[in-house]
Amino acid sequence: MILREQYEQVIFETIRRGATEISPDVLAALEAAEARETSNAAKMGLRRTCDSLLQSRVRQNPCCPDTGWPVFYFKIGNECRIEGGMMALEEATRNAVRKATKMGYLRATMKHPLTGYDPGDNIGENIPNFTYQWVPGDSLQVSYVAKGGGSECFGGTRHRVVAFADGIAGIQKFVVDSFVEATRSGGICPPNVLGIGIGGTANLAANLAKEAACLRTVGSHHPDPKFRELEENLYEAINSLGVGIMGVGGKTSVLAVNVEYAYTHIAGICVDISSNCMVARRGTSVIHADGTVEVLTDPKWFGDR
Amino acid sequence: MAEYHLSTPLSEEQIRDLHVGDTIYLSGQVFTCRSRLHRWVFDEGHASPAAAMERDALIHVGPIVLREDGKYQLVSFMPTSSIRFEKWGAKSVREWGLRMIIGKTTMGEETMKAMRELGCVHCSPQSVSPNLWCDSIEIDDVELFDELGTIEATWHMNLNELGPFVVDIDTHGRNLYDEHRDEVDANREAALRKLGIPEDFEYTRLY
Repeated sequence: MILREQYEQVIFETIRRGATEISPDVLAALEAAEARETSNAAKMGLRRTCDSLLQSRVRQNPCCPDTGWPVFYFKIGNECRIEGGMMALEEATRNAVRKATKMGYLRATMKHPLTGYDPGDNIGENIPNFTYQWVPGDSLQVSYVAKGGGSECFGGTRHRVVAFADGIAGIQKFVVDSFVEATRSGGICPPNVLGIGIGGTANLAANLAKEAACLRTVGSHHPDPKFRELEENLYEAINSLGVGIMGVGGKTSVLAVNVEYAYTHIAGICVDISSNCMVARRGTSVIHADGTVEVLTDPKWFGDR
Repeated sequence: MAEYHLSTPLSEEQIRDLHVGDTIYLSGQVFTCRSRLHRWVFDEGHASPAAAMERDALIHVGPIVLREDGKYQLVSFMPTSSIRFEKWGAKSVREWGLRMIIGKTTMGEETMKAMRELGCVHCSPQSVSPNLWCDSIEIDDVELFDELGTIEATWHMNLNELGPFVVDIDTHGRNLYDEHRDEVDANREAALRKLGIPEDFEYTRLY
C-alpha cells in the first residue's frame, strides 16, 4: 500500500523539481544549439538561457515564471494499491499544487476564463488536469508538466483534418506552415520541442501531440521507421527556416520533433501540433510498493520512449 | 546596432534615437501591467493606477513575488507576450504617456502607429533568463493587488541596468519581426520543396 502522506510529499517534490530543475536532455539540447550557432545574438541568447537554468537549480526558483497549466500524468501499476484510492490521489495532487504555489515554485497563473478571477492557488474547474495510464506492476509513477502559456497560446498548438488523399505532404505542410505562423514574433519561445499527433479523434490527436511534446525526451525516436523518418525530415526542414531563438534568427528552431499516432478513420486524418517552450519543464517520480522512491529523467510514457 | 544604457524618465529625443536591432539596458522606475489591468482601466472605466500615470516605462510581465516580513521578494521575472494586449496597446501608449514597453513578441499596427506618433519603443528579450534579471530589480510597492491578484496587479519596480533587450519596434516605422518574417518565408518555400511538397499543392477541402 502506498500511503497518502508519502505520495502527497512525493508529488510536491516532483512539482518543485519539475519547475526548478531543467531535465538533462533539454539542457544538453540547448547547449548543443549554442555550440552550433554562428550568430552572436543567437549564441548569447542560448548561453544566457542555459546560465539562468543552471542558476534555477541552485536558487531553487522556477526556470520561467510562467509555470502555466499544472498537468499531471500518472502511470499506475495494475496491482498498485493507493491509500484512499484514486480520489485521494487527486486531492493530494491539488494540495501539492496549492503548497507549491504558496511557496513560489509555481506562479498563480490559473484563472477563470471569463472573469479573470484569480483563486491564487492554481486550483479551479478541471485544473489541475489528470491523465492516467495503466501498466503492469505495483508502483505509482507521477509526471508533472509545467505547460507554459507562450507555447500554448500563440499558435504553437494547432489542429487540422487532412484528407487521406493529401498524404504525408498534407501533414508536413500543415506542420511547417503552422510553425512558421506561430513563430512570427517569437511568442512560443523557440527553439521548441514540437509534438505531433496523427490520427484518432481530434481530442486523441491533441493529447498525443501534447504528450509527445511534454513527456518524450529530446533525442528519443519513434521506433517505427516511417514515423522516425517523418520526425527527422520535419526536424531538418524546420531547422532550415532560420526562426532561431525567440524568433530573431538562428540555426535552431526546434530542439526535437516527436511524432505519435493512432489508427483512424481515413475519411480525414486529424493532425495536431503541440509546442513546448525551449524551457521544457517536467518532473517524474516513481513510488514502489515497498515505499522506495525513484527520480526519473525519462517518463517513458510511450512504452520505451 | 548600438547599445544604450537608459534611465527613466525617458525623453522623446532619447527614444527617437533608438532603432530596430539596438540593445538597451534600463534603469529607474517602471510599472507592470497585464490583461486584467488593461481591462480594468480601458474597458471598465476604473482610474489608472498612480504608477501608470507617473512612470513612462511599462513592462508586460507577471512576476512571481513572495511577501516576507512585509517585504516583497521577487522570485522570477520574464517579460510576457505583448501581442495579446494589442486591443489596448495604442490607448496605453497615449493615456499613460509611455516611452517604452518591454514585453515579448511584437505589437500590431495600431500600437505601432501610436508609438511612431508619440515617441515610444517596444523591446523584447532574446533569451529566457529570469535569474540574470532578478538581481537588477527591486520591488517598491504594488497597486490593485486585492482587486486583480498577484500577477495581474501593478508592481512598482526599480531597475538597475535591466537587460539586454532588443528594440523590436522603433519610432521610425520599423518592426524587427516583420523584417525577419520575409527571410523565414523564403526559407519556408525551400523547406517545403525539400520535403517534396510541390509549389501548387492544395489541400483537399473537407469542410
